[in-house]
Amino acid sequence: MKVGLEVHQQLAGAKLHCGCPTELSETVEGSILRRLRPSVGEEHVVDAAAAFQAARRLTYRYELGPSNCLVEMDEEPPRPLNEEALDAALSVALLLGCRLVDEIEIMRKIVVDGSNTSGFQRTALVAVDGTVEVAGRRHAILSVCLEEDAARKVGERDGELVYRLDRLGIPLIEIATGPDIASGAEAKEVAQEIGALLRATRKVRRGIGTIREDLNVSTEGGRRIEIKGVQELRLIDSYVEKEVARQEFLLGLRAELQQRAARVPSDVANVTDEVAGVGHSLLSGTVRRGGIVLAVSLVGFAGLLGSKSGGEERLGRELADHARSAGVGGIVHSDELPGHGITEEDVARLKARLGLGASDAFALVADSSSDRGMRAALRVAARAEAALEGIPEETRDPLPAGRTRYSRPIPGRYRMYPETDVPPVPVTVERIARLRATLPERPGATRHRLEGEHGLSPELSRQLVYGGELDRFEELVGRAHSAVRVARLLTQEVPEVAAAMAPGFDPPLGSLDELLTAEERGQFAKEGASRVLAELARGAPNIEVAVAASGLKGLGREELVQIVERLVGEHVDLVRARGGEAFSPLMGDLMKEVRGRRDGAEVAAALREAIRAKQEQLGGPPP
Amino acid sequence: MLRSLPMGERIEVTDTNGCRWTGTVIPPHELSGDRVLSLKLASGYNVGIRIGSQVEYRRLAPSPTRRVEAQEGLPPSATTVPDDGRTVDLLTTGGTIASRVDYETGGVRPVSDEKEILEFYPELKESGGVRVVPVLDRLSENIAPSDWLLLADKVVASFARGASGVVIAHGTDTLGFTAAGLSFLLADLPGPVVLVGAQRSPDRPSSDGPSNIAAAVAVARDRRLGEVVVVMHETVSDGRFSVHRGCWVRKMHASRRDAFESLNGPPLGTVEGTSVHLLPDVRPPARGPPRVDGPIDERAGLLWFYPGLSPQKAAQFVDGLRGVVLAGTGLGHVSSVHTDWIRAATKQGVVVAMTTQCLSGTVDPYVYATGRDLLRSGVLYLDDLLPETAYAKMAWALGRARAPEEVRRLLSEDRAGEFHHRRRPEATA
Repeated sequence: MKVGLEVHQQLAGAKLHCGCPTELSETVEGSILRRLRPSVGEEHVVDAAAAFQAARRLTYRYELGPSNCLVEMDEEPPRPLNEEALDAALSVALLLGCRLVDEIEIMRKIVVDGSNTSGFQRTALVAVDGTVEVAGRRHAILSVCLEEDAARKVGERDGELVYRLDRLGIPLIEIATGPDIASGAEAKEVAQEIGALLRATRKVRRGIGTIREDLNVSTEGGRRIEIKGVQELRLIDSYVEKEVARQEFLLGLRAELQQRAARVPSDVANVTDEVAGVGHSLLSGTVRRGGIVLAVSLVGFAGLLGSKSGGEERLGRELADHARSAGVGGIVHSDELPGHGITEEDVARLKARLGLGASDAFALVADSSSDRGMRAALRVAARAEAALEGIPEETRDPLPAGRTRYSRPIPGRYRMYPETDVPPVPVTVERIARLRATLPERPGATRHRLEGEHGLSPELSRQLVYGGELDRFEELVGRAHSAVRVARLLTQEVPEVAAAMAPGFDPPLGSLDELLTAEERGQFAKEGASRVLAELARGAPNIEVAVAASGLKGLGREELVQIVERLVGEHVDLVRARGGEAFSPLMGDLMKEVRGRRDGAEVAAALREAIRAKQEQLGGPPP
Repeated sequence: MLRSLPMGERIEVTDTNGCRWTGTVIPPHELSGDRVLSLKLASGYNVGIRIGSQVEYRRLAPSPTRRVEAQEGLPPSATTVPDDGRTVDLLTTGGTIASRVDYETGGVRPVSDEKEILEFYPELKESGGVRVVPVLDRLSENIAPSDWLLLADKVVASFARGASGVVIAHGTDTLGFTAAGLSFLLADLPGPVVLVGAQRSPDRPSSDGPSNIAAAVAVARDRRLGEVVVVMHETVSDGRFSVHRGCWVRKMHASRRDAFESLNGPPLGTVEGTSVHLLPDVRPPARGPPRVDGPIDERAGLLWFYPGLSPQKAAQFVDGLRGVVLAGTGLGHVSSVHTDWIRAATKQGVVVAMTTQCLSGTVDPYVYATGRDLLRSGVLYLDDLLPETAYAKMAWALGRARAPEEVRRLLSEDRAGEFHHRRRPEATA
């Protein structure tokens, strides 16, 4: 197995080719409609991936807002390259020990899925041939590029894809590793190391979706599969493992198909009339509405489409994904029949019509448009045929829980041509010297410093550097909060509250500062911080309100002593019977009452003192 | 030095830092630095590599070409116009609509070769009955009034050969001037003459060229129309197009798709898909035959007044011209220091005409004393003609008549529906 990574990190500041801010926005000020078509590039060839997407002939709706101008709308030429973003990319390239190019030439990479209004993404190769070291192993860095992020997809309806333009044009640094990663776990570690290097520039955006990974996975005997746009770093290993399992399944399937001499006849049959009367609502409904039902014959495929082989991999799903890529809802295949309202007789009739026998299978594609249906059926047939060869090279979309789905063919080099609207940028010797003199600290050195200067444990320093909270840590420590306390808050309490109640919960720096200040003033004890955060996650507008809502109004020293004395007084018998050992059961009761309102150590001390006093009063043995 | 490198071949070369690069030699960008070699790497990226005066390189075998079978995706029918036997000629002049990225200079280069045009607009092959006629291959800033005459001749020839309509693909920068010029030069048109352009070059997936051309072809097939019009995007969205009268239209934005606007009144119509909606007062086809109402006299000028323009400079500008259009302020004024040269020029037979640099609205000499003075000095007020339209009309009128009085008469006459006799409020909103 070989794995390569492409890490994409958004930069903060201004967009790559205009002055717009890089903040996403929920404000929609209007929208425009566009169509795209593949265009003939430099070498008079239309790229396969571009042609593939254009075949769906979608209309794209672009939502406009405060973070876009005419440039993102493709209504004004791009401005020259953002020099600050370029500095960040060059710095990262230097940290990775890359060779820099001498003059950066901006390219257009054709992307006609609608995510770029222009139909291409602007991208520039900044450097090549570096290395990154993780756990004693060196991994090759093939390239560092600086490019524009795409518009974000916000919906799809009636053949119309809806994108918002706020994300389009945000600078992205793309770092590609060589295919030298040996496992999913290693892929995750390499991604973490590269992420930490990128954040070391202090110019990156933070939050979900600001760093995304593409995984290139190939197994022995297989071909390259690209899983594009993984946002959750922690799932990288499961994506890799599931993809390996899928490829192994496909190789096994190939052996079986070859043994059976399976084949896919080239013609697609129109079986609209044959299925008009069946009980399957999708099929008969399509016929009733004047649509078309097409059958793809799969000679020798019987029993190989479904999940009878066990596991979650199945050819039927691959075929359905290909049909979907042509804009059709899905397929019905013979391994799942009879069923879904299709009887044994229906199947027999269809097989007879198609001239198929017991060892053969078929797939049905239904659609209201005969053009689209035909396109989908041809893709299903092509995918089935590819199963005879093994693993088709393709791009796949990540789904939750580590699964993936076919999205499109892998684009070739024909998708690149020069962006003539933007002048090339020389990388001068002076510029390199300036950047070298101010290179950011490497993640390893940062960890060392955190442990030495702030007394953080190796685990805390690791979490800060690889978890992406270093900036906020330093900011809060700079505001005179305890380093260990800040580190715990950022790496444990905030993520725990987010995981438990609000994915994406990310309180602003100011709130965290207020929270720590309130805690330091004794308004609540550090055990209570999670409850205050929880109130914030529930929507409390500020820390003051959150503290009040959490019921953690601070406990004075005198009040604590009163509570402790009252409790001990209520349990005189226990103290008499067990002496100092009464502490544990009483502490449990006491914490129920005061948790988070006063520091735990102080509560314990107060209880011990009260028990000792009570024992003396009772004339018992001295503690 | 760079020139000695084998263009288009794959080489391995060492840069000034001693690093080795492998790629195909491509022409450098126009704005590339000295001694920067442009290489296309295997990944498809171009990069610039600084090389020394004694560059060492090694030729490599060409990389195996991977042909991509991509027929599935070319949209054959999305914008196809049904062939109803009415043929349309597509005259090309260059401009963005017929330009491609020039990999030799890094700029945009016009194409005129029919094969290349069809490569950009495969839809045209299927909308049978469209014949491509290359006329010029120039960006529109390089198109001169004499070219209007050439185009007018080609239009007449196209109708004579049986075309039912003519589409002219033209750069957008001066498309309004050419449209106005043709409006005056072409008489007795038996069908539509449609100028069309693109604000995004056709090598971009987002080009507005294909849909603009499809809409223009639809208008060119319309039997109700016998005048020169411009068809371009109505808004920045794709899907709706405006039909502008050639002498009312102006490029009002440097880059937007909907840059073209009819001023002082609504456009003549709209196109949605292949359906053309026209106002009732379009100019209907003449029985023909069409003719060129020329020639053109290029001794016409257009002078934009600005505060500080000296009368000497203005007089120098007018020297050698037979007619000048002034783009004056507001209702049609220039500083009173200009009255003397204007009086002298008109006395010598130079026709001086006034339009407004406000573009919207009409000139009127009677409201202010300045206007009344200018009128007395011999200035001809041209109502709500756009300065560009007035300039084109001046060149045409000077070609048609020798005597200044005759030129003034031609200028004042409504020849192509160029004057709005009233301006409704919608248009100025």
